[in-house]
Amino acid sequence: MFRTRSFNVSTVVMYGLLILLLLIIVVPLFIIISQTFQPNNTLYNYPPTIITTEPTAQNWEGLFTREDLMLTQWLANSLVAAVGHTLLVLAITAPAAYAFARIKFPGRNILFFVLLATLMIPGDTRLIPNYLVLRDLKLLGTIAALIIPGAANVFGVFLLRQFFMGIPVELEEAAIIDGATRFGVFWRIILPLSTPALVALSIFVFQANWNDFLWPLVVTTTVEQRTLPVGLSILQGAYQTQQRGLVLAAAIFSTIPVMGMYLVFQRQIIQGVTFTSGFGGR
Amino acid sequence: MAESATGMVSDLPPTPKRKNQNRRDWREAIKYELTGSRLRDTISAYLFLTPFLVFFAVFVLRSIIYSAYMSLHDWKILGTVQKLTKEPLGNYVELLNDDVWWLALKNSAVFAGLTVVGTTALALSAAVILQRKPTGSTFFRAVFYAPSILSVGVVAIIWGWLLNTDFGTINYLLQSIGLPKVNWTGDGNIVLITLSLVTIWWGFGFPMLIFLAGLQNIPESLYESARIDGASGWELFRYITIPLLRPTLLFVTVTGFIAHFQVFGQPYFMTAKGGPGRSSYTAIIYLYQAAWEAYRMGFAAAVSFTLAGILMAITLIQFLVAGRNDSN
Repeated sequence: MFRTRSFNVSTVVMYGLLILLLLIIVVPLFIIISQTFQPNNTLYNYPPTIITTEPTAQNWEGLFTREDLMLTQWLANSLVAAVGHTLLVLAITAPAAYAFARIKFPGRNILFFVLLATLMIPGDTRLIPNYLVLRDLKLLGTIAALIIPGAANVFGVFLLRQFFMGIPVELEEAAIIDGATRFGVFWRIILPLSTPALVALSIFVFQANWNDFLWPLVVTTTVEQRTLPVGLSILQGAYQTQQRGLVLAAAIFSTIPVMGMYLVFQRQIIQGVTFTSGFGGR
Repeated sequence: MAESATGMVSDLPPTPKRKNQNRRDWREAIKYELTGSRLRDTISAYLFLTPFLVFFAVFVLRSIIYSAYMSLHDWKILGTVQKLTKEPLGNYVELLNDDVWWLALKNSAVFAGLTVVGTTALALSAAVILQRKPTGSTFFRAVFYAPSILSVGVVAIIWGWLLNTDFGTINYLLQSIGLPKVNWTGDGNIVLITLSLVTIWWGFGFPMLIFLAGLQNIPESLYESARIDGASGWELFRYITIPLLRPTLLFVTVTGFIAHFQVFGQPYFMTAKGGPGRSSYTAIIYLYQAAWEAYRMGFAAAVSFTLAGILMAITLIQFLVAGRNDSN
């Protein structure tokens, strides 16, 4: 009797905590989304109006009609940069990881050690020289400046190398006996078998690039070049006192693409995050 | 840049001995050395490596070395010939004598400490509950991770408005239960706590997923036998979960501390680059302003190296402390 009762209490507490946490996450987002449909004068009511009686789409219209807000341009910049960066990272880290995982060559250990050593040194040390290199290559303000500098992702090489090493060598040996080349083996056997690792790395790299703030702040200069996070900071500076509703709507708008992606690929994203973290967490 | 955003530090296990066709027997090994296959392997390996190595050499290796070199100079952003600082290591000497730098370090450390403690506690609690697979656990897990995919600007705008002193919903809630209004981002004594709370809300989902993965590796049989011996729920947590989760805990706290120490976006957006006064002025804001507001590139390089040294020292100390506790 006592046992069942204590079990029930802990179940209630458990669900209580889960629902509390759920509300802490969802309610703020709900309040802000609701407030983007309020006219600007009631936004400054106190007590605050959560659900307005006179909904308006003026903030959302303003996002696309005001000349100085280049929200769709910023969205396009962010998307092109994040996709381009992710593809570049995959294209250069996967072959490198294969070489480290499978081929014996002079200099392998030294190279691997150098890679490992740079992983220990925080990325801040690279900010200034990378900025100056891009300036000298006349790439400041281009999408390339957002794609290229972080492409040599050492963590990605480690992650993929580790995964490749877990694939049975016999598969490759059989293919080589049948006359396949090294590249053929890599392209037709290793890559297709490594989808989970490649997806996980892509998610990780895409998200880091999409959310990056300091780097795009530094390497973009004109309004048209900005990415969404940097654009939001401009908006906030320019409008937060006059047009708060517009700033809130812009913030919500900028999350729509990633939130949509998250809703669709939620399972893969969570598995991917768990997968990448597993390599550090052991 | 990309990898430092989430503070990933790889802690890979040693390379397992892999089966190597060429070492299986000495005759094959000799044949391998004498025929062209060794050369062919070397060539193909470097072909596979070249694209990566080009980017690595230019944007990682060169940049780290060049940054060290720059830090010794009085670097003019438009200059062609750069001069060494008047006294040797002048940039470092100046930095260490700057009270603002020490304040920035203190603020970063306080922020990182608060955030790591809060994040770890919340993430671990959520993971322990979700591990018991309550109805809807995948739904809860997905919602708890959702804020992590927002960008810093969105989080800062949302919470900046909710925490607004005069019109914010949070202060209204506080008042309606009889508490005074709080000046969340305008009071120098609490601004770091505010930024920390917002950051915990934003990012606890990531360590939660790591903890969930770690918890799955603890064999259920351990809990069962302890339960038979009459252990309470708390005792199970204290004497089984915590000790067996140690490596994961260490990873989460160390990488979390380092990532949060480099906080930039939250104070940039929410407190106008470190206000009120310099109450939320952090090390990366200092670096940003030295490089891109004062355009003192050599000095900023010295800042970045000093910061790197501090972060590496923190990692080392935390691992040493953890190692010593392990052997006790």
